[in-house]
Amino acid sequence: MSEYIIEMLNITKEFYGKKANDNITLQLRQGEVHALLGENGAGKSTLMSVLFGLYQPEAGVIKKNGKEVHIKNPNDANDLNIGMVHQHFKLVEIFTVLDNIILGVEPNRMGFLQKKEARKKVMELSERYGLRVDPDALIEDISVGMQQRVEILKMLYRENEILIFDEPTAVLTPQEIDELMEIMRSFTREGKSILFITHKLKEIMAVADRCTVLRKGKCVGTVNVKETTKEELSRMMVGRNVSFVVEKDEAKAGEVVLDVQGVTVPSRIHKNNAVKDVSFQVRRGEIVCLAGIEGNGQSEFVAALTGLERMSAGRISLCGRDVSAAPIRKRSRLGMSHIPEDRHKHGLILDYTLEENLVLQRYWQPQFQSRGFIRKGEVRQYANHLIDQYDIRAGQGPVTVVRSMSGGNQQKAIIAREIDKGPELLVAVQPTRGLDVGAIEYIHKQLVAQRDAGKAVLLVSLEMDEVMNVSDRILVMYEGEIVGELDPKTTTVEELGLYMAGAKRQSGTEKEGIA
Amino acid sequence: MKTKLQHFLRSAGFASCLASIASILVGLLVGLILLFAFNAPFAMHGFRQILTAGLASLDKLAKVLYQSAPLIMTGLSVGFAFKTGLFNIGASGQYTVGAFCALVTVIQFQLPWYLGLLAAMVGGAIWGAIPGLFKARFNVNEVITSIMFNWIGLFAVNLSLNNMPMMLANYWGAINKDRTAALAQANPGGMIPKAGLDELMHSNYMNISIFIAVAIAILCWVILSKTTFGYELKACGYNRNASIYAGINARRNIVLSMVIAGALSGIGGGIYYLSGTAQYTLVKTLLPMGFNGIPTALLASSHPLGTIFSALFISYIQVGGDAMQPEFVKEIIDIIIAAIIYLAAFALLMRSLIGKLFRPKGGGMADKQEQATQAKSIEQEAQNA
Amino acid sequence: MKKILAIFLALVFAFSMAACAGAPTPEPADQPSEAPVTEQKTEEPVASADGTYEIALVTDVGNIDDKSFNQGTWEGVKAYAEANGKTFNYYRPSEDSDEARIETIKTAIEKGAKVVACPGYLFASAVGTLQEQYPETMFLVLDVSLRDLPNPAANTALVTYQEEQAGYFAGYAAVKEGYTKLGFLGGMAVPAVVRFGYGFVQGANDAAKELGNVADVQIKHWYCDSFAPSDDIKTKMSGWYTEGTEVVFACGGGIYLSAVGAAEEAGAKVIGVDRDQAGDSELIITSAMKALAPSVQVALGEFYDGGATAWPESWGGQQTVFGVSNDSVGLPTEEASWRMTNFTVEEYNELYAKVKSGEIVVSNAIDAAPAVEISVDYQN
Repeated sequence: MSEYIIEMLNITKEFYGKKANDNITLQLRQGEVHALLGENGAGKSTLMSVLFGLYQPEAGVIKKNGKEVHIKNPNDANDLNIGMVHQHFKLVEIFTVLDNIILGVEPNRMGFLQKKEARKKVMELSERYGLRVDPDALIEDISVGMQQRVEILKMLYRENEILIFDEPTAVLTPQEIDELMEIMRSFTREGKSILFITHKLKEIMAVADRCTVLRKGKCVGTVNVKETTKEELSRMMVGRNVSFVVEKDEAKAGEVVLDVQGVTVPSRIHKNNAVKDVSFQVRRGEIVCLAGIEGNGQSEFVAALTGLERMSAGRISLCGRDVSAAPIRKRSRLGMSHIPEDRHKHGLILDYTLEENLVLQRYWQPQFQSRGFIRKGEVRQYANHLIDQYDIRAGQGPVTVVRSMSGGNQQKAIIAREIDKGPELLVAVQPTRGLDVGAIEYIHKQLVAQRDAGKAVLLVSLEMDEVMNVSDRILVMYEGEIVGELDPKTTTVEELGLYMAGAKRQSGTEKEGIA
Repeated sequence: MKTKLQHFLRSAGFASCLASIASILVGLLVGLILLFAFNAPFAMHGFRQILTAGLASLDKLAKVLYQSAPLIMTGLSVGFAFKTGLFNIGASGQYTVGAFCALVTVIQFQLPWYLGLLAAMVGGAIWGAIPGLFKARFNVNEVITSIMFNWIGLFAVNLSLNNMPMMLANYWGAINKDRTAALAQANPGGMIPKAGLDELMHSNYMNISIFIAVAIAILCWVILSKTTFGYELKACGYNRNASIYAGINARRNIVLSMVIAGALSGIGGGIYYLSGTAQYTLVKTLLPMGFNGIPTALLASSHPLGTIFSALFISYIQVGGDAMQPEFVKEIIDIIIAAIIYLAAFALLMRSLIGKLFRPKGGGMADKQEQATQAKSIEQEAQNA
Repeated sequence: MKKILAIFLALVFAFSMAACAGAPTPEPADQPSEAPVTEQKTEEPVASADGTYEIALVTDVGNIDDKSFNQGTWEGVKAYAEANGKTFNYYRPSEDSDEARIETIKTAIEKGAKVVACPGYLFASAVGTLQEQYPETMFLVLDVSLRDLPNPAANTALVTYQEEQAGYFAGYAAVKEGYTKLGFLGGMAVPAVVRFGYGFVQGANDAAKELGNVADVQIKHWYCDSFAPSDDIKTKMSGWYTEGTEVVFACGGGIYLSAVGAAEEAGAKVIGVDRDQAGDSELIITSAMKALAPSVQVALGEFYDGGATAWPESWGGQQTVFGVSNDSVGLPTEEASWRMTNFTVEEYNELYAKVKSGEIVVSNAIDAAPAVEISVDYQN
């Protein structure tokens, strides 16, 4: 028996002469959590696709238990007990949890489904690893966290020994992340081996045994996590020192830009209100962060604030003008910019080119059209200007179809567009979701720069670090209400966590006292 | 130079074109196989007819042009709606209503042809607007509404014509009243002018309608690709949520898109029945011209200028097919033509195959990303639906 | 998801188009489309070595299996050509328009047609356009009279039938058989159909006068404006049968199907038209036939016997009328087709002789309804 359960030796994968993986070696021990760290585009996904049989490498071998294997397609990978939780889940939305888990390996007797046994097995697994799921719920009705548990159960149901997690925490709440870490540990106790793809250093420090770092398609090295630090890992990943602390001066809050009074928004799912009587203000020159665990009304509040959805009560003023019932375009004209939560759903038209997306909020302005005809030259010039200024990387420049761009650059495009509009109020909803440290650093700098330029910034975030580092004031939202207003300089992560979990709340007077 | 060529080879437009051509070739190949299956001794003869008859003589060419004009219009109609994310399967009904309005204008009211076309446009637009309104106001799927409106349109037109004696052929000296009056008798000024083309091409079919259709196709292309209006329409089609986010009035655009699609089909009906050659017959089947717009648009990947060529192709194949008589009976010819067009409409499929052929294999990170985002967008669409 | 659905639907409809593409208009009479491709295969036309066809049939709307005009003409063309070793074939226009008919006739001529048979009144204008242009080609135009085509050239032979005589026999027979409540269901009010109907009325009138029950005999007379069966027609017929109508003369392409359908439910009877329709339904007591196929054969014979270069003078530029005089109309007298008991074949033969001799003259006027003593309810 070899020391390693899976070895990927000297893997090289080229795309048209460009090496996405250049002589990479990755060795996975039995029973360890092995992190694969790298920026977006460093070659992590390509390497995993090679292991999963989606691509064939130009050079290098893959060994399982010391024996060379050829993985030509995902079925081969399955046969070798390799399972993968993809970043974007592969679930059938209109099937139940149970149906999704057994999909492809349905137990049957003479062609008839035998769900009873399957259910028993799934429930056993679910109990053993603390993976709480409702087997009869439809995928479309359950939370993202539960969907991920379904994906994990899929692997367990197939008795996979080698589990690949592709950026599993990007979509989870802090609590869910903790749970996931615990689940991973319990897997390794049972002798399963885990490959954990991520760019979040904290999680690596928390759960991984060893870590292989990739940079620009090359293997930088493999380190024992116990013997290293976050700073060293990030240096290996980015190739330079990265500051985790957002450098900023004291906020100089000026006049009120956004005034929200008693906003109430009905829920899309249940009969209660998703947002209940929320009131606060955002001033020039400050970053106010709306913190909270996902699903506590932040999305609904932002929808009402930006005009995507109607509110049932309350008043919103922007720079002193009532915009409670104003259409989206009017709010935008009055100085509201919105970096949306879901960049694919709202932020971008993926089949449009980069330049077309960059003028999405402005195409109707005289600068870009005359008598209804788009001024292509102006658009091109403007796009080039933004591409330079915001360092948006796209293969074919302004005419790149946005769908083909990386997530980080897509987000950069949105930020460039929203900031360059010259807003009075910038609403940024989870602007760093799914991005690597380099991109996160960049975006945080941009937010602070906006603040320093005298704009009001409303940041909605689920990331504790982001909340603590970037904001000047924190409003904690719990079950549709603002339960506390905190000063990041005087509060602790633990205290913030208690507010977010609903274990602690300020009375009305306390809140006002701080404000 | 090499990179330029590569760039061109990888461009979307090239892929579309190549995909259409490849689909056509596959379709023709299947057509040839069918020809052999049905009547082997004459198969090559028949195939030669399909390929050459449309250009064999000026009058055949005239027929190709005559048939393609309304086909361009219905193809544009379907394609225009496609571009904005709507599936206009109601082209047939809009076409019928357009034809009716045109005929009423020139026969009942004895007005000139251009007013007839204008009326056709308005009639079709109204017939397209209704499903659009239903979609925008009540989120009723436009496919369902348009199918219903095909039938409502057909029967409403037949009912109206039955009660308008002046519209029917027998009022103007013919003996039958199962069809509308021949324009030559009822109102020669109602016929689309032939501008001497009929003499030039030795065919009564020929008139200026093909030029009208081509001009409208170009207009559609300009609207879609050059104007803010087209920008908004396409944005709604690609991603309704994002266009709403950008402050675009998506509902208004849905209705407008259907209005325009309807108007295009309506003009198609007007062009065809104001040619003076065809008379509207009161039958109980949906007019196929509207449905033929679907493969026309698919073959052109919904591109307005491509629609001109795909309509010409389909019309060419039909004329060529007719020339296979009498060795092949009409029914078999129809099967073969349908097979060719059916496969030709696989352009979308071909396009992705060709995309794979000319793009870097797997496409590296970008492609991987693309796959992922596509999966994501499909997920989202499922959620929306 | 939606996109996939849309594409799927698109393909479904693209395919369904295949079904529609061939039928710009539904053929009036190919409703019972039990004419499979194989049947046509058995009628494999004979081509000369160079792929030309001497005798051509161009169909009007509908196909050669329409149990009506196209079929009758095709049978005549086929019978003559096969018996005399001529090449023959048929062509179908791409759409129901004069232009398409002209185009198709041209195709037939290019394919070597010496004689082009054109069945139906729709051909009047097409032949009118082409006869000068192709003086070498002989046109045989059926059911088109001098009224429809006032100036036939020497290469155009018009053939019409004395439908009023056939209708007369049918009306006479029905009343003699003992029926008093009759119905006439016409297709479109084209001259041939009108003649059938007025003949029917005259025959019923004469029979009633002979039987002395003029007061009892009633005829409902209605044109449905269609040659295709439909539920509307069937409903109307059911109404008639409910009101007491005993037998309906269904006169026009496929509409007999609607009448038979209603008759089956009411237990009533139907009279067929054009061909001997006894085989089509048990309820068809007799048929007012006009001999399409024989007349086509006669015409072709005239052409070929005269040297195969032109119509004989008595035909070219003339309207030839087929009727009792040349035994081209009448009722079927075969035992299997004669389903009347009170009115016998002998009585029919007597009547036929009287018409032939001119003792009885059936009016062929179509401008006004015949003056009769029985009551006729003209419903349109």
